Amino acid sequence: MLIKPLYAMLLGGALLASQAQADDTIRIGVSQPLTGSVAASGTYVTNGARLAVEHINGKGGVLGKPLELIIEDNKSNPREAVNTAEKLILRDKVPVMMGAWGSTFTLATMPKLEEYGVPMVVETASSSKVTTSGNPWVFRISPTSMMEAQAFAKQLSSFAPAIKKVDFLSVNNDWGLGAAGAFKEVLESKGIEVGRSEIIAPDATDLSAQLAALKNSGSDTIIVTSGVEQLTLAIRQAAEQGIKQRLVTTGGSFPEPLVKNPGPKGYVSTHLLFFSPWTADQSIHPDIARTYMDAWEAKGYPFPGLTEGFRGYDAILTIAEAIRVAGKAEPEAIRDALWKVKLAGVNGDIAFHKEGPEGRESGQNTPNIYIIQLQDGEVSAL
Amino acid sequence: MDQFLQHLVNGTVLGATYALLGIGLTLIFGIMKVVNFAHGELYAFGAYVAYALVSLLQMDYFVALILAAGLGLLLGASIEFLLLRRCRLENIDEVMLIMIGVMIIMQNAELLAWGGVAKVVPTPFPQESIIIGGIYLSPTRLFVLGAAIVLLLAFYLVIERSRLGLAMRATFQDEDAARIVGVNVGRIYTLTFGLGSSLAAITGALLAPVFVVTPTMGDLASLKAFAIVILGGLGNIRGAALGGFALALIEEFGAAYISTAYRDAIGFLVILAVMIARPQGLFAARERVG
Amino acid sequence: MRRLSFLVIVAALALLPVLWPDPYLLSVVAAAGIMIIAAISLNLLLGFTGQLSLGHAAFFGIGAYTSALLSLGFDVDLGFSSPLVVAPKPVWVAFAGGIVMASLFGWLLGKVAFRVRGAYFVIVTISFAQVMRMVALNWVDLTEGPMALVSIPPLSLWVPGEGVVRLVSKASTYWLVLAAGVLAYVIVANLVRSRIGRAAIALRENEVLAKSIGIPVTRCLIVFSVLSAGIAGAAGGLYAHTVRIIDPDVFLFIYTITMVIMVIAGGKGTLAGPVVGGLIFGLLPEMLRGVVAPEVQWMIYGALMILILLFMPKGIVPAFGGLLKRGRISVRRPSATQGASS
Repeated sequence: MLIKPLYAMLLGGALLASQAQADDTIRIGVSQPLTGSVAASGTYVTNGARLAVEHINGKGGVLGKPLELIIEDNKSNPREAVNTAEKLILRDKVPVMMGAWGSTFTLATMPKLEEYGVPMVVETASSSKVTTSGNPWVFRISPTSMMEAQAFAKQLSSFAPAIKKVDFLSVNNDWGLGAAGAFKEVLESKGIEVGRSEIIAPDATDLSAQLAALKNSGSDTIIVTSGVEQLTLAIRQAAEQGIKQRLVTTGGSFPEPLVKNPGPKGYVSTHLLFFSPWTADQSIHPDIARTYMDAWEAKGYPFPGLTEGFRGYDAILTIAEAIRVAGKAEPEAIRDALWKVKLAGVNGDIAFHKEGPEGRESGQNTPNIYIIQLQDGEVSAL
Repeated sequence: MDQFLQHLVNGTVLGATYALLGIGLTLIFGIMKVVNFAHGELYAFGAYVAYALVSLLQMDYFVALILAAGLGLLLGASIEFLLLRRCRLENIDEVMLIMIGVMIIMQNAELLAWGGVAKVVPTPFPQESIIIGGIYLSPTRLFVLGAAIVLLLAFYLVIERSRLGLAMRATFQDEDAARIVGVNVGRIYTLTFGLGSSLAAITGALLAPVFVVTPTMGDLASLKAFAIVILGGLGNIRGAALGGFALALIEEFGAAYISTAYRDAIGFLVILAVMIARPQGLFAARERVG
Repeated sequence: MRRLSFLVIVAALALLPVLWPDPYLLSVVAAAGIMIIAAISLNLLLGFTGQLSLGHAAFFGIGAYTSALLSLGFDVDLGFSSPLVVAPKPVWVAFAGGIVMASLFGWLLGKVAFRVRGAYFVIVTISFAQVMRMVALNWVDLTEGPMALVSIPPLSLWVPGEGVVRLVSKASTYWLVLAAGVLAYVIVANLVRSRIGRAAIALRENEVLAKSIGIPVTRCLIVFSVLSAGIAGAAGGLYAHTVRIIDPDVFLFIYTITMVIMVIAGGKGTLAGPVVGGLIFGLLPEMLRGVVAPEVQWMIYGALMILILLFMPKGIVPAFGGLLKRGRISVRRPSATQGASS
C-alpha cells in the first residue's frame, strides 16, 4: 500500500525502460566522463569507441551479431563511476566494459568488476595501482607513467643539447604527481639531476607564479604534466615570461589550441604522445591509423581530438577481438580470451602481459610513444 | 629573490582584474545584501562572448570587449528583473539560492553550447613580450592592466560623481530614505545588478586572450571574488579594489616563496582569518554597510 | 496515529529488498539514502535554525576521511620526534571516530561562524569546506591526496548463527543505510521537539526577540551545529565504507548544493522534507539517465530549484500538507508526512 507510490514513481521513470534484453546485439558497457572536469577528453574517447563499433559492424560485426555500445556518463566522479558500472553490469547485463578514464575512476570501478565477474579494458589510467592490486578482471591498453618515463629515457639521446637537469610542473592530481614521481625516478637513474617541483591546481589558469619560480632554477628542461587547457596556458605563459628551458609535456595530452593560435614566434615545445595524427604515416600501422582518422574526419569531430579518441577506438577493437576469440559474449570467456588477444591498433600492436600478484594478475599492454615538436603552429616528429 | 620584481608585476596585473571582479560583486552585495553566486558565470559569459565574436565571427577584439560589457549588463539586469524582483529582500537566503540555481543553469548551458574543450581567443597584440630590466610582460597583459585601471577609475567616477551613483549610494545607505526622496529603488536594483554583472563580463572578455575559455572557469572566479570582497569588507567598494590587489599579491608571493600547492587555498585561509580576527574586513574604516 | 504511520512506512521500506530484490534498484536507493541522511543533517541548520550553511559537504567529507583512515590505519609525520602511527581499527570504531571528528569540527565551525550572520556566514562556511578540500588534496602523507584512499573495508555485523558478516551485498547495504536514516530521523525529530529545538525555532523566526526572552542563542546554534555535523559525518562514513574509495572531491561545493536542493525542494524546517526531496533528487538522476543529456539534467535541477523557491518557497511537503488540510483529500502518503512534519 505504502510502497505503491514508489513503485509508480519508478515505473514511470526510465529506470525500468532499459531492462528489456536485446539478444540480437552484443553489448559493450562504456563508462566515461561526459560531464565534469575532464568531459572533453572523455567525449573524445567515447567518439573513438563509436567509430570502432561502426567500423566493426560495417564488416559484419562479431560472431554474426552487431556490437552495441551502452554509454554511461561517470560525471568525472568516483561514486558515479561505481554507479555506472553497477548500472551497466546489473541492468544492461553487459558481458564486458570499457572505462573508466583515469586512475581514480578506474580504481573505484575495479571492486565491482571483481564482485560481479566482468572484465574491463582500461583505455586511460596512468597509476601503477590499477594493474598491481591483484584484480584479474582488469586489462589496460594505456601505459603507466612509469612505462612512459622509461620510453622517454630510451630517447634521451635524440635531444640536443642533452638534458642534464630537469624541473617539474605538475597538475595536482594522481596523474600529475604520479608522472612527476615516475620521471624523477627514471631520469635520476640515468644520471640526470632533478631540480624543483612545482604544483598547479587542476583549475588554475594563471601559472605565472610557478613559471617565474622555475625561471632561473638552472635546469635545461621542464617536464609538464597536465590536461590540454593547462598545457596551452603553460606553454604560452612560459614563452611570454621568457622561460629558457625546453618544455616537455607528458601523458599524451597535446596543447591543440596552439596549432591555430601559436604563441611567440620560434618557441618550441616537445610532446610525448601515444598517437600523433600529424605524423600518422610514421606510426606502426599507418593503414589502421588512416582508417581511424578518415572515420573521425567524416563525422566532423575536431581534429585535435584524434590524439585522445584513438584510445576508445583501440579499446573497442581489443574487446571485439576478444569476443571473437572467446566465441561467445560471456564475461569469463571474454576475460580468458583477452589474454590471447594479439591485434594491430592505432597506437601499435596490442597484447597483454601479466602484472601484479601471482594468481591474480591483471593485463597490461605495452603501448608505443611518439615524441613530436610544436613550433609556430607546425607539428613535426622529433 | 631574483624574480621578485617579476612576481610583483605578475601579481599587479592579476590584481587589477581581481579588483574588477571584486567591485562588481561587492556593489551588488552592498546594495542588495545578497551574495551573487552567478558572478563567476557572468565572467565566463563575457569570455564566451569574446570567443564567439572574435574567433567565430572574426570581429574586432575591442568591439567585442564593449559588446561583452553591454551584453553582461543586459543579462544581469534581466536576471534581476525576472527572478529576483519577486522575492527581493524578503529573504536574502532565498535570493542567494536562486542565484545558485542561475549558476548551475548558466554553467551547464555553456557546456552544452560550447562543449568542454577549452577555447582560445586570439590576441590583437604582438605575442613577443616587452622586456624591461629583465622583467617580462606580454603586451596583452599590459593592455589588460591598463584597461582594468581605466575601468576602475571610470567606475569610481560613476559612483562618486554621477546622479546614478548618488542614487545608488543613497539606496546603499538607507533604502527607505532613498525611496522617500524619490529614488526609484527597483530601478536602482536592476541597474546595480546589471552594472556588477557587466564588470564581471568585461573582466572575462579582457582575460579571454590571456587565458583559455572553459565552461568551469566561472567557479574559480566566483571563489576568488568572494575572498576579495571579504578581504575588503562586504559592500565596501574601495576595500574590494584594494582586496583584489592584495589577494593577487598574496597568492603570487605565497606561491613563489611558500608553496605552489596551496596557492588557491590562500584565498580561503585569508577569509577564515579575516572572519576570526576582523569580520568587517581589513580596509573597512568608514564605508561598510550591511 | 503519527507514530503508527511512521512505523508502517519504515516497515514498508525495510521490505523493499524482499519484494523487489533488484540489486541495481537497491544500490540506487541506498546511494540516495546516504544523501538523504546528509540532507536531514543539513536541515537541522538550514531548516530549524535558519542558518544557510553552504559548507556542509565538509562534515560529510571529514566523517568519510576519518572513518576510512582509522579503519585503514596510517602513519604521518607531524614534525615531532616520532611519527604518529595509528594501527587499523575495527570498522565500527572507525565509523564512530568519523562521527566524533565531524562533530568536533561542527563545534569549531560553530564557534567561528556563528559570530557572523547572513552573507558572511554563508561565505565562511563555503571557505571552510574549500580549506578542508585543500587539506585533503595536499596532505598527501595522510590522505593520499588526489590518488584517493582505496580498498576501504566495508562495515561488518555480527549475526547470530552466521558470525561476522561483511555488509557488501546490495540488500545489506540498503538495510544499513535505512537503519542509519531512521536513526537520524528519530534523533532530529526528538531534538526539534525538545526544549532546545523549540528555542532554535524561536531563534529562526526572530533572533532579537529570542535573545530578549533569554534564549542562549549562540549555545543553541552550536548544539545544532555539532549534531548536524555528527549526522553528516555518519553519512560520510557510510559513503566511505560502501563506495570504498574516497577522493578530495567529496568536499566539492556541488555536493553541498545537492543537499541544499533536496532540503529546499522537500521543505526546509519539516522533518519529512529532506526525505521527500532526497528521494526525488536522489532518484531523478537515475530516471533521467539516457533520457536527456547530463548537462540538461543539471539545468533541470537548477530550474526546478528556482521554480520551487519562487512559487513554492516552503517546499513540497508543506505545500501538499496545506492542500490536504484545505481539501481534506484522503491520500495516505502525504498525510503521513504531514503528520510527521508538524
